[in-house]
Amino acid sequence: MAGVLIEMRGAILRRSVSYHGASGSRGRLIGGLLLALFVTLLAVGTLLAGLVHYHYPGAGAAVVATLSFGWLLGWVTGPLLTGDDATLRMDYFKLLPIPARKLAFAMLGAAFANISLVFSLIAFAALIALGAQSGPAAALTGAAAVLLDLVLAVVASTVAIAVFGPAISSRRGRDFGTFVLALVITLLSLASGLVPFVAKRLTGGHSPVLTAVVKILPSGWGAVAVDAAGRSDWGLTGLALGGLVALIGVLVLAWPPLLARRLTMSARGGGRAAHARREREPILPSTPLGAVIGKELRMYSRSVLRSVMLMIAFLVGVLAAVIPAFSGKTTGLPFAGLLFTVIAAACFTNFYGDDGTSLWLTLVTPGAARPDVRGRVWAWFLVTGPAGFLLTVVLTAASGQTWSWPWVLAAEPALVIGAAGLLALIGVRSVNGPAPDGGPAPARVLKTHLALVALPIVTVAPAAALLAAGTATHDVALRWLAVPVGLAWGGYLCWRSVRLAQQRLERQGPEIFARAHASVS
Amino acid sequence: MDNGDNVPALEFAGLVKRFGDNVAVDHVDLTVPAGSFFGLVGPNGAGKTTSLSMAVGLLRPDGGAVRIFGRDVWADPVAAKALIGVLPDGMALPDRLSGREVLLYLGLLRGMPREVVAERADELLQVLELDGAGGTAVVDYSTGMRKKITLATALLHNPRLLLLDEPFEAVDPVSAATVRTILQRFVARGGSVIFSSHVMALVERLCDHVAVIAKGTVVASGPLDEVRGGQPLEDAFVDIVGARTGGAEGLTWLAS
Repeated sequence: MAGVLIEMRGAILRRSVSYHGASGSRGRLIGGLLLALFVTLLAVGTLLAGLVHYHYPGAGAAVVATLSFGWLLGWVTGPLLTGDDATLRMDYFKLLPIPARKLAFAMLGAAFANISLVFSLIAFAALIALGAQSGPAAALTGAAAVLLDLVLAVVASTVAIAVFGPAISSRRGRDFGTFVLALVITLLSLASGLVPFVAKRLTGGHSPVLTAVVKILPSGWGAVAVDAAGRSDWGLTGLALGGLVALIGVLVLAWPPLLARRLTMSARGGGRAAHARREREPILPSTPLGAVIGKELRMYSRSVLRSVMLMIAFLVGVLAAVIPAFSGKTTGLPFAGLLFTVIAAACFTNFYGDDGTSLWLTLVTPGAARPDVRGRVWAWFLVTGPAGFLLTVVLTAASGQTWSWPWVLAAEPALVIGAAGLLALIGVRSVNGPAPDGGPAPARVLKTHLALVALPIVTVAPAAALLAAGTATHDVALRWLAVPVGLAWGGYLCWRSVRLAQQRLERQGPEIFARAHASVS
Repeated sequence: MDNGDNVPALEFAGLVKRFGDNVAVDHVDLTVPAGSFFGLVGPNGAGKTTSLSMAVGLLRPDGGAVRIFGRDVWADPVAAKALIGVLPDGMALPDRLSGREVLLYLGLLRGMPREVVAERADELLQVLELDGAGGTAVVDYSTGMRKKITLATALLHNPRLLLLDEPFEAVDPVSAATVRTILQRFVARGGSVIFSSHVMALVERLCDHVAVIAKGTVVASGPLDEVRGGQPLEDAFVDIVGARTGGAEGLTWLAS
């Protein structure tokens, strides 16, 4: 029966790949290849980490254990990100009269037919590499540990679906998954700062607590076993490997009842309890523009997707500057606000695609296109502008890097104001609807990454030129001239982009609408 | 231009829409008299939703014209769209807003004064029995509730013509009765309604005019009695569309 499920999964995947048509499948292909490349690099990196020889004994095991934790975390949170194993929804099986145990073991078997196992194999092979440093016995232990870790990953991932299951298939659950995704993205993007920091502490033996934690977690048992085998401590080796086997056994035994519970639970999360809303005095003007701003601001505060994107922008912006400051490097602090603004802008380059079919309201209401564009620009500016400005000013003052004042005071307004307008223009010209499984389309993810680079370049270029010239010629006045120049350029970009965006929405509204809801239907 | 009731509420003149090689709407001509309750029926994929989308500005026609009380929807959209209320099928609303907030947003977007919008919104929510939902966000509404709130958005600005795509689908009988009464009162006071539906019994009960669309063309159109020619509308529909009803052969293992 596992074979039947694997076939079913394959058929669904094949359909979803061919469903999109020419441009969609190209975008998906590129996105998929980039993702595969990225994961391969991560896997190879992990493998290489196992080959490094550290001075401090046991440091290698600690590093590999930490990395294993990362991979296992990826396996367990994966289903949360794609929403209940998009290719084998539990709901398909709710009504079939299949005994729970048979179905459970079949699903477990089918879960092993997963291409991610290849990447994880490369990554976990770090254990073999680690063992090879100490001799053939340890290497063999490593091989056993790899196998067990892979099995654990698949089983843990499958069980995670059952545990988090009912939450996932409801809309609330997707929100939770989005939140976890946000956290993971934040961690990943901070990895470049965090990993060397953590690695140094682990390999220098400075942090026994961290080392102990990483080894106590089940993800680290494989590394513990290999390390112990290298020291010929067979008792510990047996304990660690046995522990893995026992854990897998427990999960496998717990799986059928969890699945049964999952299948009989209803998917509906239930609506939020109605609470009487105080009639507040309206702050915004009672005009079409005011109406759009009001709607957008409410969406920013209530839509989990939007608030999570802002949270990522804030956390990454602040932490990327603050973490180096712990080691005394405060040069990054003034630029936290800029980083926040750039990320917040890049996340919102898909105004109309993200709203899906609700664009119909704008098309059907006469004269709604112009206030809609302006309102969205204003709303984004109101949400990110003050925060970015505050971050910039406070952290620059705190850092004591007084040379950076003209830099940030020129760049931040240019960036915020310029980007606000550009977001509207990008939003009407490039519309990416959601992918069929509800997640972001690969093209949209690509656009976000391109925007991260392009937006600061376009908005800050004139000011940056003046700043660079002023620095090269040691001319303070020239540097401060960049501030009004930046402001003016940002203002011009905003004004021009908004006009172009308004024209395009008015003339090409139905076409934009068609693209926004193409993937939804 | 506006000489009273002689101007049709809605007019399709040679409307064409192609999707690739498929001609979804093939030179459709249709006239919806002012003040009528017009039913648009047809099999799945006949072009009903496509035609209605072109009439309200959601889909650009490849040929032909659509006029609403004499105003061309594509040449003079602002004037035309001010006169219509739309209930499309399966379209999202800004889903984190509550029902009341959606109505407020749309009323203000149309340039209506805030007090008027607030008053009408409260009344509509009450009549459609959505006022109990209070602060619930639209994303948590059931399908029937979502249809009702979308209908409320169509009625808010007191349009002259309502275009409704499957308005009674997934709506419980009590709510359906409320909606029916509202629509009948609307027509009695001089408004015009055109709605598409699969449910012939409903169309027969409510409409005074009907048009049958199949494969992108209008195969029959006119006053209800003319089109159904003495039969129940369902049988007339099957005859007109030339469909063959199956189900009488095979399946010998079923319930054996």
